[in-house]
Amino acid sequence: MSATTLQGISVRRRATDRVARGVTLALTLLALVPLFLVLYYLLKEGLGAFSVHFFTTDPTGRFLGDPGGIRSAIVGTAIIVALATAIAVPLGIGVALYLVEYGRRSFFANTVRYFVDVMTGVPSVMFGLFIYIVLVVAHIGGTFAAWKGSVALALLMLPVVARSSEVVLNLVPNALRESALALGAPRWRVIFRVVLPTALPGLMTGSMLAIARAAGETAPLLFTVAFVNGISTDVGQQMNSLPLQIFNDVGQAQDRLVQRAWGAALTLVLMILFVTLIARLVQRRSGLQP
Amino acid sequence: MEAAAITPTRGSLPRGSGPRFADPLLQGVLAAVAAGVLVLIGFFFVKLIVESQPAFSHTGVVDFVTSNDWVPSRGQYGALPLVFGTLLTSGLALVIGVPVAVASALYITELAPRRVRGPLTLLVELLAAVPSVVYGLWGIFFLAPKLLPAEKWFSSTFHFLPFVAGTVSIPNYFVASLILAIMIVPIVSAISREVMSTVPRDHKEAALALGATRWEMIRMAVLPYSRAGISGAAMLGLGRAIGETIAVTIVIGNAAAIGDNVFSQGYTLAAVIANEFGEAASDPVHRASLIAAGLLLFILTLGVNLVARYFVNRAESAGARRTPVGMAG
Amino acid sequence: MKQLDRFTAAVVVCGSLAIGVAACGSSNDNGSSSTGGSAGAQKGGTINGAGATFPQPVYSEWAARFKDKQGTTVNYDPVGSGGGVAQFQAGTVDFGASDAAMKDSEIKVAQKKGDPVHVPTVLGAVTVSYDVSGLKTGLKLDGATIADMFLGKVTSWNDKEIVATNPGVTLPSTKVAVCHRSDSSGTTKNFTQFLADYSKAWASGPGVDKSVKWANGTTGAKGNDGVAACVKQTDGAVGYVEQAYALQNNFATASVKNKEGKFVAPTLPATSAAGVAAKPPADLRFSTIDAPGATTYPITAVTFLLVYQDMCKAGMDATKAGLVKDWLDYALGDGQAVAAQLQYAKLPPAILAKAKAKVAGLRCNGAAIAG
Repeated sequence: MSATTLQGISVRRRATDRVARGVTLALTLLALVPLFLVLYYLLKEGLGAFSVHFFTTDPTGRFLGDPGGIRSAIVGTAIIVALATAIAVPLGIGVALYLVEYGRRSFFANTVRYFVDVMTGVPSVMFGLFIYIVLVVAHIGGTFAAWKGSVALALLMLPVVARSSEVVLNLVPNALRESALALGAPRWRVIFRVVLPTALPGLMTGSMLAIARAAGETAPLLFTVAFVNGISTDVGQQMNSLPLQIFNDVGQAQDRLVQRAWGAALTLVLMILFVTLIARLVQRRSGLQP
Repeated sequence: MEAAAITPTRGSLPRGSGPRFADPLLQGVLAAVAAGVLVLIGFFFVKLIVESQPAFSHTGVVDFVTSNDWVPSRGQYGALPLVFGTLLTSGLALVIGVPVAVASALYITELAPRRVRGPLTLLVELLAAVPSVVYGLWGIFFLAPKLLPAEKWFSSTFHFLPFVAGTVSIPNYFVASLILAIMIVPIVSAISREVMSTVPRDHKEAALALGATRWEMIRMAVLPYSRAGISGAAMLGLGRAIGETIAVTIVIGNAAAIGDNVFSQGYTLAAVIANEFGEAASDPVHRASLIAAGLLLFILTLGVNLVARYFVNRAESAGARRTPVGMAG
Repeated sequence: MKQLDRFTAAVVVCGSLAIGVAACGSSNDNGSSSTGGSAGAQKGGTINGAGATFPQPVYSEWAARFKDKQGTTVNYDPVGSGGGVAQFQAGTVDFGASDAAMKDSEIKVAQKKGDPVHVPTVLGAVTVSYDVSGLKTGLKLDGATIADMFLGKVTSWNDKEIVATNPGVTLPSTKVAVCHRSDSSGTTKNFTQFLADYSKAWASGPGVDKSVKWANGTTGAKGNDGVAACVKQTDGAVGYVEQAYALQNNFATASVKNKEGKFVAPTLPATSAAGVAAKPPADLRFSTIDAPGATTYPITAVTFLLVYQDMCKAGMDATKAGLVKDWLDYALGDGQAVAAQLQYAKLPPAILAKAKAKVAGLRCNGAAIAG
């Protein structure tokens, strides 16, 4: 395409340009259509399930009579994800800290970095299967238990937290570190008093996005937590959770159970959206954009 | 704190409080955590291989991957229909999803009005916030039934095309591929956007200065530059699609056979693990076969991810290398 | 920064409060029907079981009433008979449930933990349910025709095989859409047993098992409820589900030809009739498929609860063993009348007596279990 002198743009080229723009816009909107459809259906079908009863009773498992609400699922998800977060976030930030502060470009650090990246690509069902083999079948601490599900979710979250934390920690200006060190502060102090507080919003964002991801995962819980109706706060026992509740209700023939699935799905999506939006808000307010 | 001495030697600076061993301790702890990650992944891989041994000794490695019969009740574990389903749905998802994702990335970075960029980006990312089980729910109760008439029409009109004619089921390969395509759009779009935003302004401005239209500028400056990165993004999307379990198992019909056409039911490696592990708990060969299917899945995703990282790294280093010759800035 | 900390702290606190309130408000609330007082001592506790979806309607009803009676929670995970047997063998549950008696090979695996005991609980009808616009309930079908439908040989509802058994009925030309189980199922085993009895093609083809190789073009779904959902979704669908599911969804059910040549609908009397002639062996592993009798519904299945002869030796503690025994006593006692309300047939008296004897003979480390 030669254009060494300022020629007018031919009609054909202008048309191509317009068509291309139109197509790109159309495809972009196409990408968003499912989002709106899903949200629309979630609201349409799910809101109908909402009621005080829905949120305050547990599923009864009864075939006839009252099928119950999803309270135990909500509480279960909160507990399992909280425990997973408590495991994954400190470990993930720890790995990132090591990579940024100490390891940097060493062979060991590069190897760790590489394998953490590998871990992000592992399907979630594999983590569930792994924990199933290692913890459930081996009857370590009982059979199905909520904490095992948390461990599986933590495995899922760990590389995500580590990777995003590493990016954020790298953004902390070296000048800050160096001035603190120059003032005589020991390394560990620099990390805890300068680096971490500066990076905190970014770290929180990364962790919250990992939480949002973990909250929606079903496969790791299938093999480790099993399904139970009643509410339980004992992490050593089976526990209900929203993704499992939805998965179980999806295959049901009874309409009201399917509606309960929609209601549970809406609840889960709202919870995840809430965490995601908070994460984005924190990110924006801090101004520390990667 | 008083002004530091000009030559700050260890002894002269007032030391902050804290024991001497704190620094090495912290380093040691963090290094242990990092090493722990390596050990974990190694253990993971080893455990998978060990636990899947009974399956391979029962069926043989080649037979496991290539025979067409997955009938656990008869002790037959040929994973071909599973591998077929996995590759078909992911491949189709890629074909559908990547153009859409790249187009959205292009639009957001190059064509959209500035004010719209933020909200549009957020919306595309929200696609990733929907849990897979919700996609499955929506897929089976809304998408699959709605698509049925169109699929039937397509199947009968284009029956001469390979793999198109035949009975159309409500849950089928195609619906699964569509759902997967939707799920990979956010990842592919995000990475493509990142790559496209690193295109040097000079390249773009040079093209525009030569009189190119916006689209021509994109074709000349943005796309060639981003090609490697977009390939990497596509590979990562592929990896995600290969491993997706729940959404697929809800909409694919879970039939352990190679379907007649793209609108028949099928099965994937990930779905079979989710569906059968409960029954396999005490049958050693069945359980090992499921773990072997998992191993296969893991190798597939690993392979795809390695290819992806190769492309992305190549893009990054190429970008660093590409210094504008004879241009300012 | 401080603003940020306070803001996020507020959000986190609000969130945790909400969840805390929900959790706290729960621990004492039973959730299920609180229909007044319960007689007898409140023993509390929890026992876990898993298995067949076939009896899930009645087991879940029993669980609710059992909880009212003595406060014990029974968690039943409907994973299918195959899953039930597997979890029983692996010891991950306190009791298993299966519609198909354990095979010898399965018993061998279980014997690593102890001798398994089959406790029959109820009889249920495996209906051939269909959802075809234009077809009312009561379509007459025989075993050979049903087998041909599931083999894919009979492809439309006005096929000559169906016409042959239904003279005078106007049949639509809708395509037959077959729904079957995708998971390992006792219901499948019972259904395929019936098909194999009447169709050589079936016996030599897919055969009889909890999980078989189904014809191409058929749809698999998880659990009895999944098959019910499958039947409900498609016009022209046919599937095999337990009677309670058929009733729940107002399915049309076929009247199936029994051994005596009569076409019988899956009613409670017809289901009960299947148990009358049954003569189970000592270990109570029996089947009522294709039972004799003019009024018998031929696809009637008996379902079992699985426990170990010596539960404590198999890994259970004494209290739990007591609770499991209470559960079994309930199933064979008050539960029998409840079953009838859900259209499951009670066990015939002779078999009930044998079952009760088995339960009485359960041990905990050699000693009888206190009631």
